[in-house]
This record gives sequence, structure tokens and C-alpha cells, in this order.
Amino acid sequence: MWFIQVLRVCGRELLLVFRDEGVVIFFLVLNAVYPVFYALIYNPEVVRDEAVVVVDDNRTAMSRDLIRRMDATQEVAIVGYAANMQEAQEAMHSKACYGILYVPRDFSQSVTRGDQGHVSLYCDMSVMMRYKAMFTALTNVTQAMGNERLTAIVEPVLNTSGSVIENHQVPVGNPAMGIASAVLLFILPLVLQQSMILGIAMLHGGSVERRRRNGGHDPMAIEASPGATIIGKMMCHQIVFVIPVIYVLHYVPLMFGFPQYGNFLHIICLAIPFVIAVSFMGQTLSAVVNERESVFLLFVFSSVIFVFLTGVSWPRYLMSRVWWLVGDCVPATWMSNGYVLMQSNGATLYQVQHQYWMLWLQLPVMFILAYVVERFINRRRYRSWIAASEDNPRILTRIDLAKNGVG
Amino acid sequence: MILKYIGNSFKRGCVQLVRRPMYFLLIVIMPLLCSWFLMDLIKGGSVQNVPVGIVDLDNSIMSRQVLRTLNGLQQVNISHRYSSFAEARDAVQRGEVMGFFLLPEYLEEEALGGRRPVVSYYVNYAFYAPASMQYKGFKTMSLLANGAIVQTALRTVGVPNEKIAATLQPYQTHIHMPGNPFINYDYYLNSTFVPCFLSLFILLVTAFSLGLELKSGLSRQWLRTSGNSMFLALVGKLVPQTVLFTIVGWFIQWMMYRCYDFPLNCNPWNMLLAMFLLVVANQSFAVLMFCFTPNFRFGTMLCTLLGMVSFSFTGFSLPQEAMYPWVEALGFTVPIKYYFLIMVDQALNGIDLYYSRVYYAALIGFTILPMLLSWRLKKECLNPVYVP
Repeated sequence: MWFIQVLRVCGRELLLVFRDEGVVIFFLVLNAVYPVFYALIYNPEVVRDEAVVVVDDNRTAMSRDLIRRMDATQEVAIVGYAANMQEAQEAMHSKACYGILYVPRDFSQSVTRGDQGHVSLYCDMSVMMRYKAMFTALTNVTQAMGNERLTAIVEPVLNTSGSVIENHQVPVGNPAMGIASAVLLFILPLVLQQSMILGIAMLHGGSVERRRRNGGHDPMAIEASPGATIIGKMMCHQIVFVIPVIYVLHYVPLMFGFPQYGNFLHIICLAIPFVIAVSFMGQTLSAVVNERESVFLLFVFSSVIFVFLTGVSWPRYLMSRVWWLVGDCVPATWMSNGYVLMQSNGATLYQVQHQYWMLWLQLPVMFILAYVVERFINRRRYRSWIAASEDNPRILTRIDLAKNGVG
Repeated sequence: MILKYIGNSFKRGCVQLVRRPMYFLLIVIMPLLCSWFLMDLIKGGSVQNVPVGIVDLDNSIMSRQVLRTLNGLQQVNISHRYSSFAEARDAVQRGEVMGFFLLPEYLEEEALGGRRPVVSYYVNYAFYAPASMQYKGFKTMSLLANGAIVQTALRTVGVPNEKIAATLQPYQTHIHMPGNPFINYDYYLNSTFVPCFLSLFILLVTAFSLGLELKSGLSRQWLRTSGNSMFLALVGKLVPQTVLFTIVGWFIQWMMYRCYDFPLNCNPWNMLLAMFLLVVANQSFAVLMFCFTPNFRFGTMLCTLLGMVSFSFTGFSLPQEAMYPWVEALGFTVPIKYYFLIMVDQALNGIDLYYSRVYYAALIGFTILPMLLSWRLKKECLNPVYVP
């Protein structure tokens, strides 16, 4: 009997989802379009040919060599020479370049004399990636030039080149070292979470509106116990999200060539508790929604907060205890971190078991919250509406009008 | 007569604002809370002590010396030691460490024998910010280790002490970072993200309050209170919100520049003006979206989408010149882009106001745009159709 109730709720919820254009947009269109659009923004991955202007007070073969090598790096392009610093500054202020390379008058003389030659780089600090690109280019170029010089001095005496110990960086997880591959994998599970919460809240808002119009009753709702209602709705969300989950977690990385070392089945296993927990979370949170459209106001901005809590731009280990714990309460935090380790580093489900079990742990907690909200907040509220409407059938619409500034 | 209309319209706007607690929540509480969240989260401002592992296969005096020095660097923190490469890789996959430093077997022997051993470091670039720091730390360490040996060798062949530094590193680079000399992540990220967050709230609240008139079917009455003038109706409705948002925006700026000491190298009035213009421009932008699509759902969705994507396509993290040209162009369609450019010119770099004149003008331009299209909104208000 209870199970029949669950199935009926699930069936009705499915009907409501596909009859409501707004919910379809959240559940399906948002998942289809947003990751692609987002990926396209970051798709260039790295900064290439950052514009730099040179002030060369030295004008020797050595300074020209330095500048040529800078121009040849992937990160920097020399866009012009300026006669002095004022002119270069003028170029930087009018955004003709984002960096100034200054070679002082005694540059080559110092080096040939056996002293250090100094070279300065002024970076625009508005965007970190610009600074990083220019910094990397200059460091690499001066190190290469320095090594050549060192070898020339050391080799005849020591019978070895300047580098006794060689070093070698192996970028793992994201071999292109690009920003899209790093950021997008964190964002993808978050898109799923937010679209689901928005859709669920919109459905709830629609139901509340119907209740207000019909004296506290929702003609589309199925009579069922709170537990059956929650689980029935959850089943419906699972069914609807099968395709979005596979598309977002599997096909989007494929389309843009992001790291995809994760086993498909393992990813799906990780996603199952995640989607269930998010469904319960959505049902809990939607209690604050009174109109369909207030979901935009109440939930959209939370995406930004959840993004930061996953640790994509500021690592989680540096967060204060409080924010760390707040992040722990969000399913997307665990899903994102587990998913990134799987896709980028080829972790198996066994290796991300911590994240996996945390998601399973969240599931009953979210269920209990959803149950409490449904039974003790939502239903109590509906009952009071029904009682109030029996006394005065127009009371609910009158409250609505008053809120809109009438009367 | 016109004064009466303005008064009525204004009164109606205020009453609506007061009767829904949600407005207060979304205009005052949430923007402040979210700004505080972002600033508190990134309080330290620099990524340090990245947890890394080490694999020391050599176990010699030299390798231990290298590791001791490595642990002394502030960029990384050796949190785990592994006995083999496989173990370390497993730790990276589990997310226990974000990279590791591998010292090969016979490191000391080969180094002293001149056979040029290779130390390698494995950096997990799936975590972007810590990875750059790790790279810096590991690279510095490798160069120091190499330098130490070469230095000893140079000394033994009689190179004078004062010339050793110059021989080891003939080219000295000086990187100047005007405005943010400590590469503080907090200054960089939050001076753009926090105003962007605020403009998202402005877009959402404006769109919602306009859409509600259409949805409730009260839009005719709304127009009537302001003598059938769309302009007066909008002014009456939005000015109370403008006032609140501007105060909140200024308070956020006060938090940024006074409490958290963000760089402010210009006359404070320049930034205060920019904030006021940002508020008005965003409201106008939302009105403009409603003029394009006079429909609650689509108007709000457009505002939401642009507000959310603003965080990315305005070029806070990936600079605009690195983006695809069409994405870069799209960035210039939202007001926050111009605020960002003003912030960079004024607060960060402190250059002449002359260079930012276009950006201020653009923000003012946003305010004028919807006036040209408001006839569309008026038409819809006279015949409101609610599409759920």
C-alpha cells in the first residue's frame, strides 16, 4: 500500500515536471546548455602572447637576444619598443600592453664584467593569469640564458656543465595545465546540483501557488504520507536526471577534451548517492519558496557560494574550520572532489571511498531533514490555510494582493 | 500633478519593498553576508603550505639536506613520506597530497660523480592554485640544491666569493607588481567577485520586482498610479531599491578598503561614484532585459544567466585577450565589466581618471538604454499575460 503511494506520487511528479516548461528548462535545458557555454568561455585554457612593451636602455646584442627570446615564448609577445618609461607607462595605461620589460643601461656590461645583470618586469596585476604568464616567461628565459653562461665558465674548469642536478616537472591530472580542465570538472557536478534544486523548488512553488488559489488544497497533489511523498518525488527526480547525469559527467568532458581518466561505471556509482542526497536537499530547501519565480532570488546566488566551498579557487585545506564544515554539508563538495580525482587523476571508486561514504552519510541526514520539513512545516502550514479559508474563502488571495502593494 | 504621480509611484514602490521580507533579505542581508563570506574565506590571501609528499629513494646526507630545505620553504608543507613512487601516486589519486617530490636512487653518488641525476616533481594541476605554488617551491628547491653543489665546486677552483652569486645566476630578474606587491589572492579575487556578487543580486531583485507586476496582473494599476508614464512608474519602483543597494554597496566598499585593506590608490570618491553607477546600470540592465522579453520567466532567466556568467566572461580569471573574440565581446555587454575596468584603473593602479572616462560613460549609457525601449514594456504592462 505504501509502495503504491510512492509510485503514484512519482508518476504525478513526472507529469508535473514535463507539463511545466520552466521546470523542463531547469532540469534538462540548463544541464544541456550551461556546461557547454561555460566550457567555451574557458576553452582557450592558457594565456598566449601577452602584450609586453620593451624599454631597452642597453641596446646591445645581449639585450636584443633577451628580448628576442621573450618574444619567442608561448606566454609573451613583444608588441613594441618604447623610448622611455613614461612612454611605456602611457601604453600600459591605455591598455596597449599589460607589462613593461625594462633593460637598464649597464645590463650587458655588468654581465660581461662578471657581475649580475639586472632586468625588470612591471606586470599589470588585475588578472593573476597575466602576471603568471609574464613571470614564467621571464624566469624561463633568464634561467636558460644564465645556464648557457654558467656552462661556458664552468665547463673548462670542472669538466661538467652548470647543472649538476637536473630537475624535471611532471604535471599530473591536467597535463595541459589549463584553467578549463581544472575549473570545469569542479563545476560540472555543481551544475547538476543547482539545476535540480532550482527545478524542485520551482515545482514546490507551483504547488504552493495552487494551494493559495484553492483554499489550501492542491488539486494536483496525491494524498500520501510525508515519507511516501518525499521518496516518490525523489524517484521521479532520479528518473529525469539519468540522461543529464550521463551527459554532464561523461559527454561534456569528452566534447572539450578535458581529462577523462575516470571509469564510467565508477563515476556513475559515485553519482547515485549524490543525486539522491541532492533531491532530498532540494525538497528541504524548497520550503522557503512561496512563488515559482522566487527560486531565482533565493537559490541562484547560492551557486557561487557552493562553488567556493568545493575548493576550486581557494583550496579547502586553507579554509577556516567553520567554512570547511559548511562545505562538508553540501553534497556537491564531495561529489566534485571525488569526480575531479577520478577524471583527472584516474582514481578508482576505492580510492575516493571517503567522498563516496560521505555522500552515503549525507543521504539519511538529508532525508530526515526533508521529512521534518514536509511533515512539521509544510503540512502544518497547509492545514492552517485550509482552516483559514473555511472561515473566509478570499483570505489567501487578499494576503497575496497586500504583498504586491495593493490595499 | 506630476509631483503627485511621482509621490504615488514612490509610495507604492516603498510599500511593496516593506511588505515582502524577502526583499530585505535579498537587498541587505544576503549581499552583506555573501561579501563577508568571500572575504572571510580568503582572509589570508596567499596560498601557502600546500600539503605535498616526498619519495626519498636515496636516503643520503644530500637527499636529507634537500628535504630539510624544502620543508623550510613556505610554499609547501611536507605532510607525508612515501617509500615508493607507486605509494605516492596512490596518495595523489586519493587526494591525500597535491603532489610529490621524487629524489632518485644514487642521487648523491651521481651528482658528485658528475653524471647529472634528475630530480622530478609531480604536481597535480587538477587543483589549480595550489599547483602553481607547488611548482614555485619545487623549482626553487631544485635550483638551490644544484646551486649548493656548483657553489662548492666553484669555490674549490678558486672563484672569489663575491663573484659566485653572479656566476651562478648572471641574470637577476626583478618582478614589480604595482598595486598588489604581495600577490594577495584576497585583493585580487574579492575586489572583483564581491561587486559581481552584488550586481547579481541587483539584477535578480530588479527582474523579480518587475516580473511580479506582470504576474499578479497589477501592472495596469502600477501604470495608473504614475499617470500612465512608464518612466515615472519605473522610477517610483526602482529608486527605493537604488537607495538601499547603493548604501549596501558603499558599506561593502568600506569593508573592502577600510577593514580588509584592499588597495585603494585613487580618490575614494571615484570608487563610490563607480559603485553608485554600477547599481543604477544593473537596474537599467534588468529593465532592458524585460523590454526585450516582456515575460516574467524569460526576463528573469536572462538576468540570472548573464548575472551568473558575468563571473566568468568578464575576464576576472582568464584575461579577456586570451578568450575567444566573441566571448570577449560578450563581456562588454554587462555593467560589471566596466566597474571591473574602473576598479583596475583607479583603485588598483591609481592612474588618471582620464583613462577611465569611457568606462564611466558606458555605465551611464546603460542607464539611458532602457528608456529607448520602454514602450515595449509599457505595451506588455497594459496587457499583462502570465506564462508560468
